[in-house]
Amino acid sequence: MSDARAGGSPRIVITGVGTVNACGAGGRDALAAALAAGRPGIAPMRRFSTEGATSRLGAEVDDATLAAHVDRDAARRLSRVCQLTVAACRLALADAGRAGGADLAIVVGTELGDFDSSGGFAKGFLQRGIPGLSPMIFPNTVMNSMGAAAAIAVEAKGPTVTLNQATVAGDLAVARGAALVRAGLAEAALAGGVDELCEDVFRRLGQLRAISPMGRASAEGCRPFAADHNGPVMGEGATFLVLEDAERARARGARVLAELTGASWGNVPAAPYSAPATRRDRLSPVAAALRAAGLDGAGSLDRCLGAGNGDPDLDEWEHALLEADLGVEGRERGLLPPRSLAALFGQHGGLGALRVAAAALEGHAGGGRALVHGLARGGCRTALLVAA
Amino acid sequence: MTIAITGVGVVSPYGIGAKTFWSGLTAGACAIRPIGLIDTEGFRSRIAAEVPADAMAALGASTRRSRADRLALAAAREAVADAGLSRAERAPGALVIGAVGGGMLEGEEWFWEETRTKRPSAKIRALRSILPYAHAETLGWRLGLGGPKETVVMACASGAASIALGADLVRSGAAPLALVGGVDALTRICFMGFNALKLLDPEPCRPFDRQRRGMSIGEAAAFLVLEPLERARARGARVYGRLLGAGITTDAHHVTAPQPDGEGMIRAMRLALEAAGLPASAVGYANAHGTGTLQNDRTEAIALREVFGAEGVLVSSSKSLIGHCMAAAGSVEAVATVLALQHGLLPPTAGLDETDPEVPFDCLARTARPAAVEHAISNSFGFGGQNASLVLGRA
Repeated sequence: MSDARAGGSPRIVITGVGTVNACGAGGRDALAAALAAGRPGIAPMRRFSTEGATSRLGAEVDDATLAAHVDRDAARRLSRVCQLTVAACRLALADAGRAGGADLAIVVGTELGDFDSSGGFAKGFLQRGIPGLSPMIFPNTVMNSMGAAAAIAVEAKGPTVTLNQATVAGDLAVARGAALVRAGLAEAALAGGVDELCEDVFRRLGQLRAISPMGRASAEGCRPFAADHNGPVMGEGATFLVLEDAERARARGARVLAELTGASWGNVPAAPYSAPATRRDRLSPVAAALRAAGLDGAGSLDRCLGAGNGDPDLDEWEHALLEADLGVEGRERGLLPPRSLAALFGQHGGLGALRVAAAALEGHAGGGRALVHGLARGGCRTALLVAA
Repeated sequence: MTIAITGVGVVSPYGIGAKTFWSGLTAGACAIRPIGLIDTEGFRSRIAAEVPADAMAALGASTRRSRADRLALAAAREAVADAGLSRAERAPGALVIGAVGGGMLEGEEWFWEETRTKRPSAKIRALRSILPYAHAETLGWRLGLGGPKETVVMACASGAASIALGADLVRSGAAPLALVGGVDALTRICFMGFNALKLLDPEPCRPFDRQRRGMSIGEAAAFLVLEPLERARARGARVYGRLLGAGITTDAHHVTAPQPDGEGMIRAMRLALEAAGLPASAVGYANAHGTGTLQNDRTEAIALREVFGAEGVLVSSSKSLIGHCMAAAGSVEAVATVLALQHGLLPPTAGLDETDPEVPFDCLARTARPAAVEHAISNSFGFGGQNASLVLGRA
């Protein structure tokens, strides 16, 4: 981490995409097809009963889809959320046409980690006492188990970093992955996010009115920035990008999808879990990312994807902050309100990486430059610039 | 750019404050005792290093916060006050927190109650702060930090990694300073899990001892303020020491067991030395991960020997005194290492009677030792094959 090792600031490109989500699984082509089809992955939950719960919708990964991308040994040994992670990481590396190895970093963003294992471990004790405690499950209760499983699966020996964050975990992981490569701490990074739908969490978030319909009278559903938005719908899945130093990528003949021309993240100090709808952010990461990329405001952007997931307070806060950053020009250029993918894939730790991947695919197809914005209750804020 | 450490804050099993922590460490006082916080009936090991009840009561933070949040807030406040940072000065600061358990202790109370009574419990509010990132939300808000905010979950290497990643933010110019560190409170899941793995010693742990039988767990919070040395000097800040280099690697070998030849640990230490621009011979002291388990201590000794040579460095384990503080361990031990360099006094390894012949190092048995050391290394390793090493230098 010295200046000598960092040796300048390389450009960062996206050379691979791997995803297992409610709309399908695969590399860049599979994701492009899912985005083009636009068929929401949100549907009534199938994997567990929602009887007595306040919500019934979720964006589930089909078991057969996951099974098609996980070998039998991994399916036997790994928890579901680890399987999702391993599958998406392998798909991303295949899409990028590269292997793992000592110089590969992994950055995993997650909102919930392996809560299913934590609950299972605790239930073992509560039901059977000390003999009910499983030494096999316990390691999964630590949130870095997904990163560890992926590192073993793809033999990645660089830094494996797990970042826990609500709503923008995937965005944050991509930003941090780019920073690791830029600082010379890894030659390439697998960066993205993962979460799974877990019955205990689903029911409790409903009780806490944290998911649609949040106790409101309007129908349950994910309607970001709409007048009748009434909360996020939970999703699951894993999406990872391969980030590389542009020169190295081109030297090995990689299929470059897009360039990550800026990545900045910060905090709008706000009470935990609050969304105060202030327009004020003196240290706006949007402004910082644009400045670092040598760009000048909304006029230099063609598209804006946001974190809005239908949570009314969060949607309004994100809109207000982006209006302050992008001004009237942002509205006139159709950047506001930002476009959300939450209604397609559901809210989960991989959603931010899906937004970056979508921006990269659209840029590659001639869509120009995109701002991928993220904001979570509690003030964590991200800004990534993606260009062809 | 040289990174200076200009503030430290600790809440440890010795009580509140970095001075209390340092006094306990150098006195060689073992803080591992019978657990009072949770029910331990029937478990093989029933001890841990808890933050004392009177210290918890004196923290001042609202008891509606999780225990871990209260530990973190107190240690972080001490660090920023120690660095002499006004609210305006720290406003653009980054915040990187290493955490694992989050507010799980209170979440468990809710879960236990609902499962046993089969009725909804009002304690469900604990879920708002159950996840590790809750600490960053609390600290970012209460301390008014507006720079990059991250919660790093890298098992027992979390605290050390938070320091390395925070320094990276300062070095890259993403923030002018960073508040970094780790926190973990004792939880039932952690206590039961390590018991289930049979990794806990029924008696206080004895790292590097021939008769060692496992680890002891602990709880703590420790934070450091990092900023460019030039900036620190320009504002007249006291400099405790310098963070010269860091190395983070992954074994990619096994979820719970370290790679037997220590290859990942060796790479982490060598990367940290390389980043610091120092040869191994320049390092005089290693604050080891030193958990007291058969496997960890043996593997770490292999790695230390490979990097520094047999007898090439003085070694001690702070975990023998304050237990393994999980996500906080790396930052607690980084503070111990910085203070050791500053005071020219190396903290001992408690409970060490006969050093394992496979550990070819002077492990500073039982008594702190005066030594003018210029550079030291602090190691942290964790589940998932996570390795983080920090090279620190005197101010």
